[in-house]
Amino acid sequence: MEPVVQFENINKSYGKHVAVDNLNLSIEAGKFVTLLGPSGCGKSTSLRMLGGFETPTSGRIMLSGKDVTRVPPNKRNVNIVFQDYALFPHMSVAKNIAFGLELKGFDNQRIHRRVSELLELVQLQDYANRLPAELSGGQRQRVALMRALAPDPDVLLLDEPLSALDAKLRQQMQIELKAIQEKTGKTFMFVTHDQEEALTMSDTIVVMNKGRIEQMGDPNTLYGRPGSVFVANFIGETNLLRSTVISSKGDVAALNWNGITITANPGGLDPRHGEHLYVVLRPEAIHCSAAEPVLGNRIKGKIRQRVFKGNHTSLMVEVAGGAMLNTLVHPSDVAQLSSEDIWLGWKPETTTVIPDRHAQN
Amino acid sequence: MRNMVSDAPRTTLTAFYWAFILYLLLPLTLMMAMSFKDANFVAFPIGDWTLDWYAKVMQDKQFLEACLYSIMIAAGSTLAATTLGTWIAMLIVADGIRGRTIIFALACLPAVVPGMISAISLRIFISTIDMPTGTMAIILGHTVHAVPFVVVMALTRLRSMPGNLVDAARDLGADGIVAFFRVTLPYLGPALFGGMIFCVLLSIDDFVRTFFLGGYRPTLPMLIFAKVQGGMSPEINAMATIVLVVTAAVGLYAEFITRRARTR
Repeated sequence: MEPVVQFENINKSYGKHVAVDNLNLSIEAGKFVTLLGPSGCGKSTSLRMLGGFETPTSGRIMLSGKDVTRVPPNKRNVNIVFQDYALFPHMSVAKNIAFGLELKGFDNQRIHRRVSELLELVQLQDYANRLPAELSGGQRQRVALMRALAPDPDVLLLDEPLSALDAKLRQQMQIELKAIQEKTGKTFMFVTHDQEEALTMSDTIVVMNKGRIEQMGDPNTLYGRPGSVFVANFIGETNLLRSTVISSKGDVAALNWNGITITANPGGLDPRHGEHLYVVLRPEAIHCSAAEPVLGNRIKGKIRQRVFKGNHTSLMVEVAGGAMLNTLVHPSDVAQLSSEDIWLGWKPETTTVIPDRHAQN
Repeated sequence: MRNMVSDAPRTTLTAFYWAFILYLLLPLTLMMAMSFKDANFVAFPIGDWTLDWYAKVMQDKQFLEACLYSIMIAAGSTLAATTLGTWIAMLIVADGIRGRTIIFALACLPAVVPGMISAISLRIFISTIDMPTGTMAIILGHTVHAVPFVVVMALTRLRSMPGNLVDAARDLGADGIVAFFRVTLPYLGPALFGGMIFCVLLSIDDFVRTFFLGGYRPTLPMLIFAKVQGGMSPEINAMATIVLVVTAAVGLYAEFITRRARTR
């Protein structure tokens, strides 16, 4: 099937500053795709280019098979949910949602039907005649979403729409957004700097950095098999072990990390002796115990800091050579770790290896 | 003792405030009181009270005609000034406009140029372009005078407008013109309403420009001026009282409306 959106060799610069650097991206219909990255990584610019509010310096944007690179925003079939919602303050909720439908030239009856249908979808039927100022943050968010969905766009663009909400409401809206996306079968292109949002909702996450795509894949892959140090650091918490290859054969590589010998799966890299690698070790992959583990990598350490986090406890453990490892311990296991001296162990297959040449940034 | 010292500036300020209020209100009260006096001359004591002067004013054809003429000029200049002022304000906030400071300064100039100078220069201007004195010339003069106030009020409101509103309208299928009339203009509404009332009051009140640019039909201030030349009479007081009450009511109402819209 042909993708709904295609960015082809898109560049965008403002004077000397390059905001988007040779972006190539295809988005399949019906998917929830998230552009994730720190501020200034080019994610919002990419979204605004698709919305028609910025023109690429070079390259081509295809929407449903048509070249829309230079088509003005009002003539392309995409709609944006803005960060601050941008609801029209002088129009009621119903009028806001009807705005795009009126401009499409629908008759009153059809507009009315569509508006009620959408209000029902987010349970705001009783608020049709309220003004935006009379709504809560979450309700405004829903109205903005419905207003953008109303004209039935090919792609719905969401520009960090949850950033103005408090933590609890944001989590709730994440689930609601995903449910709405699944129910309507619309293609969502979501922009955020919040990795948790991205992991929760997306079918595909596109990690961007300095105007380029750093890595792209489903949430599981990005979390479990980050392709670069940037991605490993940006998504979730991580321990990065910069190691030197001692020997490598097939699936097993022996590495030297701070004078400690560990093993890891080089994942087809076939590294040579003396080459540097980064081992990505997630805190939850480390098993802390009082006794020495039998299998896998094992290191002796001293607990330097305990941080109680409710559903788990985070331990900062100092190992040989003074390096610190961040570990995550289940509440039921904390009790047996009363002594400062503990053993850390992990299975080699729970780690990922990143070649040093990808480690820049 | 210490209390008295620290209270002194405050007490003085309060005293000055009341002195100011008295100075503002006393002449107006006096004028209003005299308009109810049942005698042909303006002096104390008032003696008998009457509404005759009001009845006389309301039947005074000259007065009614002057009112109508003033309102017509106010309507014309307000319409022109609001359109022009909004336009200039939009231009100043538009993307990629160069020299917006100069545009703003030029737009504000008529508010600070002395009325006399402005009136004389306009008079010279219209005779240069062979425009006759009269209604059109007065409207032109009043418009030039009122534009800065509309620009400032519209600009203040425009600057508080979320930038995304117009983007959202465009995104939902509106072209520039539709976005202006359906989103920007309603957003500006309260500010423009306030600006329009201000234009009306400026125009009704204006004497100098009207005097230099006018023809033979007198506006309200010109009529009152002409009458005062023939000596003060309670009729003039009644006339002035009517003007005062109506303009104050309109002004306060406008203030109330814009304030309510702003807090929403």
